[in-house]
Amino acid sequence: MRRIRRVSLVDVVLWGIRIGVVIFVAVGTYLTLSDGLLAGENWRDLLIFGIAQGSVYALIALGYTLVYGVLLMINFAHGDVFMFGAMTGFFTANALAAPDPNTGISPLNANPVFGMALVLATAMLSAMMVAILLERLAYRPLRRAPRLVPLITAIGASLFISNSVRGLYGERVLGYPQLDILRGTFDLFGIPVLKTQAVVIVGAALTMMLLYWFVERTRTGRAMRAVSENKDTAALMGIDVDRTITITFAVGGMLAGAAGVLYAIVFPQVHWFMGFLPGIKAFTAAVLGGIGNIVGAMLGGVSLGILESVAPNLLLLGFGVPSPNQLRDVVAFSVLVLVLIFRPYGLFGRPEGK
Amino acid sequence: MMAVLRRAAVAGLVVGLVMLYLAGVGLIGAFADRHVVTEYLSLGQLMLLAPLLIGGFAMARQAGSVVRRLSIGAFAGGMGGAVFALGILVVVALSPGIRGVFIRANSELVSFVFFGLDPGLGALLMVGSGLGLGLAGASLPVVPPTVRRGLLTGAAGVVLMSMLEPFVRPRLTEFDLHDVVRFLYQAGGLLPLAALIVFGVSVLLGVVWRPARTEVQRRFAAADPGAQRVGRWIAALLLISFIATLPQLTGVFITQVLVLVGLYVLLGLGLNIVVGYAGLLDLGYVAFYAVGAYFTALLTSPTSSLGIGLNFWVALPLVVLGSAMIGLFIGAPVLRLRGDYLAIVTLGFGEIARVLFLSDALEPWFGGVQGILSIPDIIDEGRYTIPLLGEISGPAATYYPLVAFCAVAAFVAWRLKYSRTGRAWNAMREDEDVAQATGINIVNYKLLAFAMGAAIGCLGGAIFATHLESVFPGTFNVLVSITVLAVVILGGMGSIPGVVFGSLALIGLPELLREFAEFKLLVYGGVVVLMMILRPEGFVPDVTRRRELHEAEPEEEEEDEGDNPESPEATPTAAPSPA
Repeated sequence: MRRIRRVSLVDVVLWGIRIGVVIFVAVGTYLTLSDGLLAGENWRDLLIFGIAQGSVYALIALGYTLVYGVLLMINFAHGDVFMFGAMTGFFTANALAAPDPNTGISPLNANPVFGMALVLATAMLSAMMVAILLERLAYRPLRRAPRLVPLITAIGASLFISNSVRGLYGERVLGYPQLDILRGTFDLFGIPVLKTQAVVIVGAALTMMLLYWFVERTRTGRAMRAVSENKDTAALMGIDVDRTITITFAVGGMLAGAAGVLYAIVFPQVHWFMGFLPGIKAFTAAVLGGIGNIVGAMLGGVSLGILESVAPNLLLLGFGVPSPNQLRDVVAFSVLVLVLIFRPYGLFGRPEGK
Repeated sequence: MMAVLRRAAVAGLVVGLVMLYLAGVGLIGAFADRHVVTEYLSLGQLMLLAPLLIGGFAMARQAGSVVRRLSIGAFAGGMGGAVFALGILVVVALSPGIRGVFIRANSELVSFVFFGLDPGLGALLMVGSGLGLGLAGASLPVVPPTVRRGLLTGAAGVVLMSMLEPFVRPRLTEFDLHDVVRFLYQAGGLLPLAALIVFGVSVLLGVVWRPARTEVQRRFAAADPGAQRVGRWIAALLLISFIATLPQLTGVFITQVLVLVGLYVLLGLGLNIVVGYAGLLDLGYVAFYAVGAYFTALLTSPTSSLGIGLNFWVALPLVVLGSAMIGLFIGAPVLRLRGDYLAIVTLGFGEIARVLFLSDALEPWFGGVQGILSIPDIIDEGRYTIPLLGEISGPAATYYPLVAFCAVAAFVAWRLKYSRTGRAWNAMREDEDVAQATGINIVNYKLLAFAMGAAIGCLGGAIFATHLESVFPGTFNVLVSITVLAVVILGGMGSIPGVVFGSLALIGLPELLREFAEFKLLVYGGVVVLMMILRPEGFVPDVTRRRELHEAEPEEEEEDEGDNPESPEATPTAAPSPA
């Protein structure tokens, strides 16, 4: 028996958007490809760049997902934790990049692996500290507050952290020192890949594997999963919930710090406002993969990175839109909006209760 | 005993770190030359030393003998001073290398925070003043409330009077009161004797205010209804005439500031409907502001791509209607989302709007980076006459229409709040499922709130565009949305007077202090976090909302209430400290 449903205005709008998006994507892709505006190599480069950028997003997205898992809140200030990591990483790298007066080679270039490890360590530790402080001072007093209250707090905290950095370190844009061994490209099965991008992809992949192991195989990881399942029951099982939440923030902060350094390898400039856009995009990535889902965040990050670098060219070039790369943020935000409207449980997730 | 000492030591550590933070972030240095009492006290010093006082105050707010409370407070203060002095000595030892990282860590700052003495002596004096101020702070909770209130109002009065110098001085000179000016001010601060008098008067006001207010309230309540009505009318008339004559009373500069405040009142009223009444957190509110500004620009500017150059009043209904439609169109798909997702989606919309207005792709319509220029004034090229007030020009020409719009918006918001719609919003905010079960059409009511907010927000944009006579995409970034949110939160979500208060405190006060501009966003962030933790219902709370947020707690005591909201300088100084 067919149920007669009243078709509301909202449904009409939603279907309109669905159809519009499909038509837009199809026509744009067809026009661009049929005109052959970009050569095969260009697409390949865009793809690799997208993966590199996406793996950074994935690292940040993991922080959102982990925190959302245990607290069910969007830690809006996470992007600024990432920024803080990148900034402190910069000051370490900068100190190491000063050339030795005797040899003329900086310690960073003389011993790149050790140098990068040091930079990474400071970035991760400082970002971790900020994340822990944030949880302790701003979020913990609000554990039982109505749901919007922690979110508003997080927005305030985001503004506070970024502007503190602006006050402490200045408004300047700082150029990250670059490693000599990361200049140029190398061949991967005959495909030239920028070394920086390769390092970022490999580094992010390693970090994510480490995280996966931590969450799935260690006792603390199990505690985290238990808390995200049900806080009260976890407490009854003898898990220290407050401590687990702190650890979650710490882990998320460390990932964000690592992401900060990797991001700076691809885009070698850091400043106080750099956390905002990657933060929002990483959140998009987390939602794309289904928030609270660790593997989803990784996949979501990489997908968003690729979409963001390929889609503006693929969809808009064919319409003759000038400088489509200006609109890459629009693509990212449109993905965010569309995903939240049509699949708020993520591309790889399932609706709640099904 | 040991536990108390340890707590005091921790408090001292926090106080010291807060002071180091304030110095490092640049607040102390920025206000170093802003005198409160000429040659004796600058705003920078006040900010630096205030945490010591607050630390002592906080430690002494516990049970125990007077001597014990005082000594604990002094200990915390001394500890704070020591931590801070130690930090600064480390900076001295590490300079000049440290300047590459912390840009404010220069010798000027060091000499300023050490009272111009060399580091050893300065550090000692810092510890000493920590002890002293800790003791002073600790004595505040010990003395009777009347004395405390008097002292706090006195201090607030002196700070306010010195901050108002750039505006009081020209007014006084205009009326040929040069002697008064010479008596009051020198080098931007109050002269010591004048400061003493201001302090005395403020103390008197602070002591008298509360009994006088209760007396007036008592008499008003005792009067018969007819007299009450007359009293209300007189009060309203006084308020209206005060608002109407403000530009004449205060001069061009303050009127400019008032226009800005008014704009945020308007925006705040709109966002208040969305966030405060309906409980939908909209972080893309700037989109409507931008749409309003750009629509107005397109329709009224003869040089825009449409080039029709309509009259403002002809364009306005079109703009409002268009924005409300856009609000509906944006709202329809997203309003089914849960609260926090909705916030992020709207943020996304706000950014999309900005990037689109900025982009080369839409440059033929919106002018890209250059924006749209030569937008005409609201009324007769910015020059007109109002009976009784005379000819109006300059920023005042925007002020009057703006006040009228604010009044209309406030009236609409007020009527909506107690209407069927307002109650539906209220129910929806408290519990969506229950509201739906009682027959409220959630989607429609959400859409209505969204459209109302959009319409009011675009009004703000329209006035903004005519006021500046141009629109640029750079103005409409996410920070505007967050600022409006901070305004609404500071005053109290759902409270109409709260919006005015929040706007005056967050938009108006910073304009009084030029040095403050750089730190505005820092303070907004701090204010939002602190308010959410300490006073989520805001400073001028809405009654229902307050009850809702303090369900479990007993009603707050009357005594506690008066201290904070009445000292206006509490906002800038207190904001960054504990976070």
